Parts: sequence; C-alpha cells; structure tokens
Amino acid sequence: MRPALAVFAVAVAAQWLLPLAGIWQYERVIARGTTVRLECVAPDPYDPLRGRYLAVRPAEDRVPKPEGMVGRDAVPVWATLEAGDDGLSRIKSLSLEPVSGSTVIRLVAKWRLWEGQRQTSPETVFVEWPFDRLYLNERLAPDADKLVTERFREGQDRPVAEVRLLDGRAVLTDVLVDGVSIREIVKQRAN
Amino acid sequence: MSLLHHHWLAEQLPAWEREGIVTADGARLLRERYVAEPQGGLAQMVVGAVGALLIGTGLIAVLAYNWDDFPRWVRMALALVPLAASQAVSWWVLQKDEAAKPWQREATALVQTLAAGAAMALVSQIYNLPGKWTDLVFWWCVVSVPLAWVLRSQAVAIAYLIGIAIWTVAQVTGRGFGFSGEGADVRLWYPLLLAGILPLWPGPKLRERPASGSRLVLAATALLGLFAVAAFAADRPAFWLTMLSAAAVLLFPLDRHGIAEPLARKPQVLLGGLALVVMALIATYEDPARHLVKSVEFALPLAWCWLLLGVVAGFAVLAFRQGRFAVLAVAGLAVVPLLAAPLSGKDTSGWPVAIIYSFVLLATAIALIALEFLGRQGAARIGAALITLLVILRMADADVSLLVKGLAFIVIGVGFLGFNIFISRRRAALPGGPST
Repeated sequence: MRPALAVFAVAVAAQWLLPLAGIWQYERVIARGTTVRLECVAPDPYDPLRGRYLAVRPAEDRVPKPEGMVGRDAVPVWATLEAGDDGLSRIKSLSLEPVSGSTVIRLVAKWRLWEGQRQTSPETVFVEWPFDRLYLNERLAPDADKLVTERFREGQDRPVAEVRLLDGRAVLTDVLVDGVSIREIVKQRAN
Repeated sequence: MSLLHHHWLAEQLPAWEREGIVTADGARLLRERYVAEPQGGLAQMVVGAVGALLIGTGLIAVLAYNWDDFPRWVRMALALVPLAASQAVSWWVLQKDEAAKPWQREATALVQTLAAGAAMALVSQIYNLPGKWTDLVFWWCVVSVPLAWVLRSQAVAIAYLIGIAIWTVAQVTGRGFGFSGEGADVRLWYPLLLAGILPLWPGPKLRERPASGSRLVLAATALLGLFAVAAFAADRPAFWLTMLSAAAVLLFPLDRHGIAEPLARKPQVLLGGLALVVMALIATYEDPARHLVKSVEFALPLAWCWLLLGVVAGFAVLAFRQGRFAVLAVAGLAVVPLLAAPLSGKDTSGWPVAIIYSFVLLATAIALIALEFLGRQGAARIGAALITLLVILRMADADVSLLVKGLAFIVIGVGFLGFNIFISRRRAALPGGPST
C-alpha cells in the first residue's frame, strides 16, 4: 500500500471514530442512565457550526467548597444528586475523588475571587455542569426563548433540565416547562 | 517564480543561447534557479475549491437547521452518509495518483473536510453536547490535515492554518488574564499543530513550497498564533514577547532561491517586519515604552521567552551567514527592550527608552537605505518611508505652530517623492533592471 493511501485510511478512520465514539458514549447514557431533573435558566444564543440552541444553566452553580480543595485551578469533582419532594434534584455532596452511584455526575469546580463587582466567599466554589445547551430547530428556538423569558418575567416556575446520568457522565435530553417538553409547547404554539 | 514569468524565461533562453548571450551551462543554471511554482492550473483549482466550499457549507447549513421532526438515526444518517460518500470519492481520486487533476484533488479534499466537520457538528447537536465551537474546530483540524498531505490540497491547508490560529486565539481569550487552570497549553499545542503542515510544505522530499496566497495565510496565521501564545505564556498582554515572535517570523530561514525572491513574495518578511516596526513606533512614546520595559521583566523568568530568544538567535546567525542584513537590521528592533531594561530603574519614566527607540528606528532606516547603495539586498524605499514616518510623528508631537508643521510636511513629502524617483532611476540604470 502506498504511504499516501495508508495516511488517508488513518484520516478516514479518525473521521469516523470521533462521531461514532460520541454516538456510542451518549447512546449508552440515554439508554441506561438515570433520569434527574434540575431547575435551570435558559436563554437563546447561536453556535456558528451547530445552529440555534437554548442555553441551559442549572440554577445551582455555587456550592460549599469540597474538603481538600486548594488553589484557584479548576478541578474535576463528583457530585451526588438527591431528588427533593418537588421532583427536582440538587447537589447533596461534592467529592474530589470519584464516587459511584446512579445519581453521580462529574462536574468542574473552580474558585473565583470576584463575581461581577462582589467579592465571593472563599468557602464557596462555582460548579460547571457538563451540559450547557439544548439544540433546537431555528424556527422554534426564538419562540422557546420568548416562552422562557415570559415565564421568568412573570415569576413563574423556572424551566427544568431533564438529564440522563450514567457512570458520572450526563446527557441533556430535554428542557421541560410545567412538566412538558419545551419542543412540544413551541411546536403547538407554532401550529 | 510565477508560471507567467517562467514561460517567458523558457521562451527566451533558447534564443539567448543561440545569440551567445548565455552559455549552455548558464542557461541550465537559470532553468534550475528559476523553477515554476507548482500551480497545477490555478483557475481549475480555484473553481474546484469554490464548488467544494459551496457544497460543504451548504451541507453544514442544512444540518444546522436541526431537523427536529426526524428521529435520531435519520439525523445521524444525514450526517454520516455524505462523509462516507466524500471519502469514497477521495479514495478514487487518490488511486489515480498523478493522473488526478489538481481541481479534483482540491474539490474532494475540501468536500471531505467539510463533511467530517458537519458529521462532528451534528453528533454534537443531537446529543446537546456542551463546549465552545472552537473546540470542535480543533478536532476538525486534526482529522482533516492528513487530507492536505495526501491530496496536496492548498485549500485544506489554508483552512487548517486558519482553524488552528482561531483555536489558539480562543484558548487565550477564553481563559482571560490572571486565571490559570482553563484552556489547553498553547505553548505546546500551537507549535505542534503548526508542525502539522510540514508533511505538505516542505514535504518528505523538502521540495514543496506553498503557492503565493498560501504563503500569505501561513505567515499571517503563524504571526497571529505566536502572538496568542506569547499572551498565554505571560498570562498578561506581552509587548516584548510579541516583538520577539514577530522577529522569529521575520528571520525565518530561507534557501537561496527564497532570498533572491522579491519582498512581495516573502509575506513572512513583510508581515513580521511590519509588526516589529509598528510596535517600535508605538514604543517611541513614553507610556508604551515604560510598559515595554516592564514586559521584559515579566518575560525573562518564562521558559517560552528563552525558547523564543534561542530561536531568534539561531535564525539571526543563519541570516547573518546568508548576508540578510536588511532583515537583521529590522529584527534588531526586538532586542532594544532587553538591552534597555537594565538601564531603566523601577517606576522610572519611559522617556529614555522612547528616545532610544526613535534613534534605533532612524538607524534601521538608514541601514536599509545604505545596504542598497552598498550593493546588498536592502530596502531603500522602506527606509525612506520609515524616516518620513518618524519625522511626521515627531513633528505632530512638537510644540510648534500649525504653519510650521504644514510647511515641514510639504518639505518631507517632496523629499520622499524625490527620493523615490531617484531610487527608481537608479534601479533602472543597474544591469538586470529593478531589484528589491
């Protein structure tokens, strides 16, 4: 085989490997993962390569610093979630070491000196969730954004992110408003 | 040498041999020296690349629409079938080897590159994966660059160079200054990614050279990438490291064919030199000069600074041995802050350094003019332009009446135009016509 063909074969394999690895990994989480629901905020921005999405940020983003965390560097942490009476999950505990469990999620924790103009407590860390967007059809995305904004302005319940968890990995499957998929609501509104 | 000039030379040489203007050996040497750049039908390549670009971007736009009504497996098929099809066509073109036309290679390589990007973007969209789009660009570049090597695609190479520069800049801007722990270490990654172009240029036989447009992209993106790495390494705006990066690009070693080429065909010299001169002109003011000296203090403890200094020193030695004194004179502007730093005390005014810079710039300009008059490769016009610019800047600062300033500008303008006419006539009078 000519070297060029061998290099081409490796490139082809890599071009398949990346999307297929993603498909395998996330299909597994969707098929076998535990469902949790998290209260979130969700405005509507745009990604130049992947189109319109609803930015999803769980409301719980500041938690007590886990034991043993030093320095300002971002570190991976394992959070155990617990569902409350309202059906929404919240962080029960945070660990610097991997822990097992059906509601464990791997997050990134970092300490910030300032939040806007306000100095933050050294005992509090910010957590980054491993999902931040729900991609939507470009026709539906502006309506979804409008819906979320209206609800926020009127002081109604925040949207809820539905997430599947498996082995610390998470896949965002939907965003719910009053228990109904935001996709369904905006589709019905459009019709 | 461009294809047009090469054709002209090839047509003239037999007549010159017959008329005894050149010997057979001389003609052979000229043919070897002035080889045509591998253009391979530029128009065909452009047509191929544009067609491929339209198909590929159309594909990405169609996928980005987000076909909400289709089940996941249909959307995956929409992403992966074009990838498989483009790979099959590329394989067919690759099998044709030298029989494949340049536009076929360009078009297939570009369509496959865009199809690979579309597939990754769609999987990311289906599973609502987080992350910045620039992270996707990184992986897109990594899986696509082999196509530039094997299909010798200039378009994919250009896309790759732009992609890695965007990713590198994004790592720095995304991280912000004064916060560690986020973003990839671009001090390691950018040089590694830039080296990814080596299998294409100069290639395994060290003979391949980028075409004129690709050279410009290579020089511009390398400069941008190295500026971003400098900012990352210093964890703050890095004035002096930026100057050293520009000097490294400016002094990049050339073979004798490269040295003989006109300045317009050496964008690394043009852009690197321009960046250095602009920064040096800025440093002729008090406040920037003070910051520049301070940036030396911050940079010296950094390993990246010493690596850059080593590279610049190595390139400078090579340039000296090759007699590239004009580029050495301009690159010398990057050394001034290092020499001036020990002379400036803490919290002192930046004026001494600003004044030194004015004189060094003047000396550089005189050197560029003198080199040409000494029969070396100089840049008299650029030297004259630099002197003119310096005088204008100083006059603009000067506390004199508007009338004096106006008259001075007229005199400078007339002097500059007169010098240009003189240089043009002098070059025309030289044997072999104009040179740069």
